Amino acid sequence: MSLHALIVEPFETLAFMRAALVACLALALSNGAVGTLLVLRRMSLDGDVLGHAVMPGAAVGFLYAGPSPAWLSLGGLASGLAVAALAGLITGGRARRDAGLVAFYLVALSLGVVLVAWRGSNVDVMRVLFGTVLAIDQRALLQIAVASSVIVLAIAGLYRPLAVGAFDPAFLRAMGTRAPYETAFQALVVLALVASFQAFGTLLAVGPMLLPAAAARCWALGVAASMVLATGFGVIASVTGLLASYHGNLPSGPAIVLAAGLLFGVSLVAAGAQRRLTARIGRSI
Amino acid sequence: MLRPTDGGLVLLRDVTVRYGRYVALEGVSGEFVPGSLTAVVGANGAGKSTLLAAIAGVVRLANGVVTCAARRRLAYLPQLAALDRDYPLTVSELITLGGWREFGAFRSPGTALRASAAAAAETVGLAGQLPRPLGEISVGELQRALFARLIVQDAAVILLDEPFAAVDAQTVSVLLGQVTRWHQEGRTVIAVLHDLDLVRARFPSTLVLARRCLAWGATEAALPAMAA
Repeated sequence: MSLHALIVEPFETLAFMRAALVACLALALSNGAVGTLLVLRRMSLDGDVLGHAVMPGAAVGFLYAGPSPAWLSLGGLASGLAVAALAGLITGGRARRDAGLVAFYLVALSLGVVLVAWRGSNVDVMRVLFGTVLAIDQRALLQIAVASSVIVLAIAGLYRPLAVGAFDPAFLRAMGTRAPYETAFQALVVLALVASFQAFGTLLAVGPMLLPAAAARCWALGVAASMVLATGFGVIASVTGLLASYHGNLPSGPAIVLAAGLLFGVSLVAAGAQRRLTARIGRSI
Repeated sequence: MLRPTDGGLVLLRDVTVRYGRYVALEGVSGEFVPGSLTAVVGANGAGKSTLLAAIAGVVRLANGVVTCAARRRLAYLPQLAALDRDYPLTVSELITLGGWREFGAFRSPGTALRASAAAAAETVGLAGQLPRPLGEISVGELQRALFARLIVQDAAVILLDEPFAAVDAQTVSVLLGQVTRWHQEGRTVIAVLHDLDLVRARFPSTLVLARRCLAWGATEAALPAMAA
């Protein structure tokens, strides 16, 4: 098989592959920035929980209007924001917070599945769980593009308080910063997850967000550079995942997440080896 | 031109802090006079860190008032353990954050600020370390960098929560020197400490806490309350 047939042809001949690629690239842009901040804040679990929190609202949207991207997103946005606000109320130590978040996540997921199964078919349940990246229509694409643009611009604007708040929140508060950056960030995470939801479903939406960011984090770069690298990893995972799903006849969402997972594994090993190597060179000089 | 001492008074009236049902601090009243150097001592769980957080405005008061005219010129250094030491930030970036009020969330730090950050790094003995990431420096060096950030903040009231815990002896002496310099410059310094010999040797005033105030005054007079 020629390189052209391997890489270009699937996108050249099939409109749905092109739409999927554009959607994934748009998502990679917003996910790179949001995911990096999530990983730096050690809030991966929160991301996971919010990913499932989108589910009940999306299910209500589905009951109301069928599988329309606009209603799914609006419902998902509403329940995601509601759970983000509720999670903020959980006080007590880290262990209690984790347990509370996991409870939210299980309840939200189950509630969503029950609601969708009540009126819909098994196919509908699979669709909200794993997404339909190959069935992205123009309206869904537009939604994803708008959400990604809003997220990237918002993070660019709030970059410094978000980056400093992730490191030393007490410092910002003692500096008299009263603007609710924390809340704004949570809202951006929910928005990014809602944008991802259509393509990756509630179970996998956090994958393209966290895995490229975790992979980039292995390389010990600055915050902005990590975001750029995470976006790059997201793009690579999207392209290879889509091609693998096309040539290997694999489910496309999971293929993309697997590709991102592979990048994370490689980064973990390679960055570790590089660190040991530089340490050895440092000693021998 | 503000002098370092302007507004260095911190007044506490009936300050009470609760975490849920747990009372961390109850009915603490008194004042830190401008230019005073006070050690806050007490057993674990006595509410020392809570008192500093209350003065810094980081925790909500269940009751009472903290009055500090220089709220905008107050610097707060929490315990070191609260920070993520792997965070991708360089020493120079960390120190420059001290000028946050000057550049804030949206502008970039000016050249004067960069120069004062470099000078502060030199003061704490980190001159050669500016471009290094936090992940590569020791705990002692991190604490020095945080002190440099405090220097850049140019605060009238400086709150230090166990500033010498877990750092090496050489760093302790550098940091103590800086605390003394702040005191000489007339700034109000309040530090939570465990080492009572150090308190006796270097801190003129002491506040002894056990969720409420046991003693507050000259170190000679107040410190015996610690043993009781």
